[in-house]
Amino acid sequence: MSQPAVLKLHQELRKCFQNIKENQTVWRGVLDECSSLVSSLGNLAEQLRALKRTEIEKTPLGTFPNLPELLQYKLLNAIDTVLNQLREKVNAFGSVRDSVIKHVCAVFKMYEQNSDSLPISTCVARCALSPSISDMLEWLQDTERYYRIQYMQRKNLLQILKPDDLTLLESAPKRWLSLASPDGEERISDALCQVSFFLESD
Amino acid sequence: MDEATSPARKGNLTGSARKLKDNAADWHNLILKWERLSDEGSTIATKIVNFRLSKESVKDPEVIMEGNSLSGAPAEKSAYESNPELEEECIKLQNVVERMAHILSKMEKMVSAERGICKLEAFQYGEKGRPTPLFQTWSTQQFVEVSSKLYEVYKQELALKRTILREVAHTANPDLCMVYLSCWLHQPYIQDNTKILLESLLMETGHKAV
Repeated sequence: MSQPAVLKLHQELRKCFQNIKENQTVWRGVLDECSSLVSSLGNLAEQLRALKRTEIEKTPLGTFPNLPELLQYKLLNAIDTVLNQLREKVNAFGSVRDSVIKHVCAVFKMYEQNSDSLPISTCVARCALSPSISDMLEWLQDTERYYRIQYMQRKNLLQILKPDDLTLLESAPKRWLSLASPDGEERISDALCQVSFFLESD
Repeated sequence: MDEATSPARKGNLTGSARKLKDNAADWHNLILKWERLSDEGSTIATKIVNFRLSKESVKDPEVIMEGNSLSGAPAEKSAYESNPELEEECIKLQNVVERMAHILSKMEKMVSAERGICKLEAFQYGEKGRPTPLFQTWSTQQFVEVSSKLYEVYKQELALKRTILREVAHTANPDLCMVYLSCWLHQPYIQDNTKILLESLLMETGHKAV
């Protein structure tokens, strides 16, 4: 068992989990900001739908010149603005994903470079303060996969949303919610809990 | 003729230039106030609609589901049953509209004051007005035009808001309710060009850097 290789890898693992911890907070923050944007998107779509279903000329608003056109223009503009804001948020998800991938890759690269001096028995050994290397590598892979998939799904949803497709816009809040993966989120939190002593035992 | 030599760059404005510059600042402030009131009203109107619709849905869910009969003010019994909570919100909304009307009357006064300045200049310098602009490039007539355009926009908006105030508590059609709310919130007559007019007015008078 080569102590220096283990120490080096442990150091890299600590760095990586620390990074995931920070990124998890960022991700959650962005997700929170998105939920209000997505619901206002659904709300705007609802307003547009109500406008389309209403024959303005037969209502007390009928005397106002160009009202439906002007209101529709304003609503479409507002939808555009929200979509742009959401695009920025999804880019922020992308940055989280990239950062996580980068750090996880670095750990695996180091593991592969030193795999000769890291026999199975070393990799599966664990103690009270530190989970085994193999467990931690697995958690890292799970985390990376989670962010990868989440990013792709959210980006995909955003890409198909168009201001002129009302039905899709109306369903956006539901679809967005359905992308949430509490299990995946929880697995990351669990992993972070399991490594908390390990992170402190620097 | 002193004041004709670009008084905008001097510390103390007097006469017409002073008045126009103050008016420009007033436009800015009044429109800000208007926006605040509009937001306030929007919250109240939403409450009124939610109140109406939730009551409707308890009494007769069919009305919500149908949503196709488009009568302006359906004379349903429930709509006229006195309801202190609903009434209170309506009074609040009415207050908001009255305060907006007050803003509009101030706007109107500014337009007429600027018309007066124009007439004064016609008297002082003849039909063509003053030979050099008071600020950067605008003739005094242009100030009147911009103010009038802004005034017309807000006048139309106030009329719209008055209609919404009158109808919103008497509408059982959820789509129409939504349209009322969306009209109130998005102020369809205030378009981007309105904002550009105000911005250019502030730039011309030196309130904002060009």
